[in-house]
Amino acid sequence: MATDQPGMAAVPTLGGGPEDLAAPPETGRPSLWPPVPRRVLIIRMVIGVVLAVAALWAPFYFEPAMNRVLSQAIYIAIAAMGLNLLTGFNGQVSIGHGAFYGVGAFTSAILMIDHGWTFEPTIVVAAVLSAALGVLVGVPALRVRGLYLALVTLGLAVLFPLVTQKYVDGSGGVPLLRPPRREFASLIDGLADDQWAYFLSLAIMVVLFLLAWNLVRGRMGRAMIAVRDQEIAASTVGVNLAATKVGTFAISAAYAGIAGSLSVMVDKLADGTSAILYFQRSIEFLVAMTIGGAATILGPAVGALVLVLLRRNTQDLIEGKEVLAPALFGASLIFIVFVLPEGLVGGVRRMIASVGRRSSATGRPPTHPPSDDSHA
Amino acid sequence: MLRSRKTRVAASLLTLALLATACSSRDDSDDDASTGGDEDAAASSDIPTEDCVSDPTAEIEGDVIKLASSYPQSGTYAAYSEIARGWKAYFDKVNAEGGVEVGDRTFQIEYTDKDDQYNPGQTSANIDEMFGPEGDGAFAAFSIVGTANNVAIRETLGEMCIPNLFAATGSPQWGNPDYPWMLGSTLSPYTLEAKVFADLLAELKPDATVAILRQDDDFGDAYEEGFRMAIEGTDIEVVEVQEYNAASGEVGAQMTTLAGTNADAFLNGAALLPCPSALTAAAEAGWKPITWVSGTCISKTLMGIAGEAGADAYAAANLMDPLNPDWDDDPAMVEYLETINEYQGADFDPGNAIVGYGYTQAAIFVEALKAAEAPTRLAVMESMHNLDGISDVGLLLPGVSVSTSPEDSFLGETLQLAQYEWTTPDESHFVPQGDLLEFEGETAEHSPEELING
Amino acid sequence: MQLFINQVINGLGQGVVFASVALALVLIFRTTGVLNFAQGEMALFSAFVSWKLTTTGMPVVVAILLSMAFSFVAGAVIERTLIRPMEGRSPLNVVIITLGLFLGINALVQLIFGTDPQTMPSPFPRGSVPFILDTRIQKDTIGLLLVLLVQCLGLWLLLNRTTIGLKLRAVAANPDSARLHGIRAGTMLMFGWGLSAAIGALAGTLVAGERTAIDASLMQVVLVYALASAALGGFGSVWGAVVAGLFVGVADSLTKQYVDALDGIEVVLPLGLILVVLVVMPNGLFGKRTVERV
Repeated sequence: MATDQPGMAAVPTLGGGPEDLAAPPETGRPSLWPPVPRRVLIIRMVIGVVLAVAALWAPFYFEPAMNRVLSQAIYIAIAAMGLNLLTGFNGQVSIGHGAFYGVGAFTSAILMIDHGWTFEPTIVVAAVLSAALGVLVGVPALRVRGLYLALVTLGLAVLFPLVTQKYVDGSGGVPLLRPPRREFASLIDGLADDQWAYFLSLAIMVVLFLLAWNLVRGRMGRAMIAVRDQEIAASTVGVNLAATKVGTFAISAAYAGIAGSLSVMVDKLADGTSAILYFQRSIEFLVAMTIGGAATILGPAVGALVLVLLRRNTQDLIEGKEVLAPALFGASLIFIVFVLPEGLVGGVRRMIASVGRRSSATGRPPTHPPSDDSHA
Repeated sequence: MLRSRKTRVAASLLTLALLATACSSRDDSDDDASTGGDEDAAASSDIPTEDCVSDPTAEIEGDVIKLASSYPQSGTYAAYSEIARGWKAYFDKVNAEGGVEVGDRTFQIEYTDKDDQYNPGQTSANIDEMFGPEGDGAFAAFSIVGTANNVAIRETLGEMCIPNLFAATGSPQWGNPDYPWMLGSTLSPYTLEAKVFADLLAELKPDATVAILRQDDDFGDAYEEGFRMAIEGTDIEVVEVQEYNAASGEVGAQMTTLAGTNADAFLNGAALLPCPSALTAAAEAGWKPITWVSGTCISKTLMGIAGEAGADAYAAANLMDPLNPDWDDDPAMVEYLETINEYQGADFDPGNAIVGYGYTQAAIFVEALKAAEAPTRLAVMESMHNLDGISDVGLLLPGVSVSTSPEDSFLGETLQLAQYEWTTPDESHFVPQGDLLEFEGETAEHSPEELING
Repeated sequence: MQLFINQVINGLGQGVVFASVALALVLIFRTTGVLNFAQGEMALFSAFVSWKLTTTGMPVVVAILLSMAFSFVAGAVIERTLIRPMEGRSPLNVVIITLGLFLGINALVQLIFGTDPQTMPSPFPRGSVPFILDTRIQKDTIGLLLVLLVQCLGLWLLLNRTTIGLKLRAVAANPDSARLHGIRAGTMLMFGWGLSAAIGALAGTLVAGERTAIDASLMQVVLVYALASAALGGFGSVWGAVVAGLFVGVADSLTKQYVDALDGIEVVLPLGLILVVLVVMPNGLFGKRTVERV
């Protein structure tokens, strides 16, 4: 399956300065989503079923604190998927998704606190507002590319908490919004609040991942990928560049906004106190996407899970030398990138593919294999 | 309540589906987010317990009082972790000496802590995890660092009726009667500091013009609004206020503006590095006002960085400064240094004021425990609300006493004016000036109401 | 008027700081094509090394030179061990590596040098000299400006007037083709990283000296402004970075003084500016036009 793969760069170059790092690809349209051998399909289905069972069983096995961590992995996965659509599939690099996430979080918190809304409907508004901001950013992004786009979006993430610090006035005079906890109470008898938060997040994630899967396999997805790999060529064959790029930006931002909204349910607050929190979030989304596997469907979820588990365990690992926790975390990231350059999902998929093929595949694997996983 | 939430979720989802997004109708009247409004028992001496999620009158099982704390141990604010080394040393010493007697039982004090990197969301997660959904993971929260961090957890702990004690900031809102389960520490409310400065100016220069440097948050509000309140009716005038963002750490432009006013007095409400930076910038601009530095800036490290530029600056404190040689032979100081050395090792500087601060909070807490009638959360909380002139413990200055009452939740209401004497980097310290200043029970009078109940 | 001039002077002092870090960013980008998010933290580590050396009684200038030498080696080692293996892989991997370094180096600084802020001496004399209209200018601001100019000139000469500079640029533009021409691409890339780290060391130490103190958060905000300056200057241009850095510093200072509506969110100005400039001129103020090939 990999042999007929066009040699495309996984992600756009961060160049745009003096040189262009992208390898010139010869795009062959029909081969974008090649058929999958049966053996590979079976292995994938088995993995899928195992993951699904694990995901459904986990919240009954773990303590509430761990369920919260898992729920955090879910909302980070959603945002990382948003970023994946933009960066992985469409080639626009953003380090500003923390800001869209923040807009989602504060939208939900403000609607609940100042307008008496109950939580669930605020998710929709959060998605809409974030998408609107996404359009606002996406339009100038038509002119700004690669490295420069990364920097402009970085600015967005830096700016966001300053804006909340200036304009949000929560209880106690701090820019911290805490909707009443009872507003997040479980709606299903027999599910504790933490389990409810987990399952609601999970359900939303599954829906959004299916939508993303559907999107990238459809017309829009072909346009997105074509724009990523050869923008000018794509425009000559009738892809509407502006609509594709701005549209992707909006959808991507909406995903991040929904993630932010869910974070209010999981963490019970929207935090505007820290100047670097939303920059950190942006980085986390990027990290989850990359270590999971850019331009894959399952990648963001796997990456997010690994990310939160790493973060949690590096904190407890070193009693007495807590200042080192970020170093361990950083070192783990570097390690993963070294061992699995295509991300965890990419690496695993290559293993499965080689099992499926039996015959040895020589030569370098493509920078990223096509993505045709369904879901977990 | 659950039922109504279900109905509301269903209703609002329906509304959305009909695209009649109800933003326009402002029928949201009063859902009062800042909760706790349902308890008007503040005036009565009793702490309301009827809504408690866990039973605050249950006696501790076993012979261990378990405390939980959350504070930055990594990241930009990791230096605050030294506070904990102070209180841990004191508790270790108490344990080694047999423990503490509460009611008629004797307990060892155990503590557990987690890193929150000064991030309120993480503080909240840490507290949830350490106490658990039933609130039985620990007895009380102790010395949580940061105003926003404490705000993030005060409702949760309040609803579960878990004491959150010795919050390690000087925010005046720790006197908010809506949160009877939470108390501040001996760190004086920032508004009282502002009051002391205003009084000092009234004496030194009754018609002073004042320039203020403040952080752009609640910490800055406390200084500015507290000071404005304190100068009402006097001839002292605020001529310029400049704000800076805590994260930027850079106050050059603000100080250029302030120095440009050439005001008589300078209220330096900056914390951490911006505090000495501001002093240096003022000196470099040739501006020599009567200067006040925030109580959070009284440290060997920070004032040492300012060096000569900090000379003669005023501040207020209520703890002995380990750097002041006058205390070298004081038994309390000797005991402090021995305790720190024995239980926390020698790999850090006990001369750092925040270590002594942590140590003193632990000492006061042990006194409160001894005074409690029974080893229950309620009894300990009542004891904390009725501290009766605790003095001569920890590093409290001689004559400073710590009192609270059901109407007055502030611990640090006695202050000692002090002035920075610059000699050499290792010997410079704040020298006490004049008598103790007594504001017992007066913090509420000197603080704008919205800062306490905001 | 006097106040205005004072704010401009103060802004220049800040701008020099932004410009020096921007210079290191631009250098690494021009010579290796990598955007190094760890640049600020590498400079922080180097500055702490300088600080540690000065506490032994060593003169500041000597400490800086030693620290620069150390940083040169460290930068080259980082390139060889962490960045080089990423060659030919997705650029996102390099981004993750530099982010990992960002987190790791900051934590290492706290472990090795402690979490407390430290007093940092400046190589320049204290005090100020008279300037126009009864205003004064700090001696260390003048010193920083001079150092910056010398650095700039040196780098410009190195990159544009020497064989080694030509090789550096050739490798950055196209490593494979450079190799075919007999350039030892690996050595050049290591050299680029080393040089950039050394320049960062100088910048970090001078920043700390200018602010009289150093702690682990020193470079984080500086990095944002430096990135903004580098982007504004076109990311490929040494002079562009410097001019943009100074401009951003002055603009920030004046905003704080005169635009009360932006109190607390002054950073919106350089960011907004970048956006406008990039939309009008996608390659930055000083960038060169590139021709797209299909």
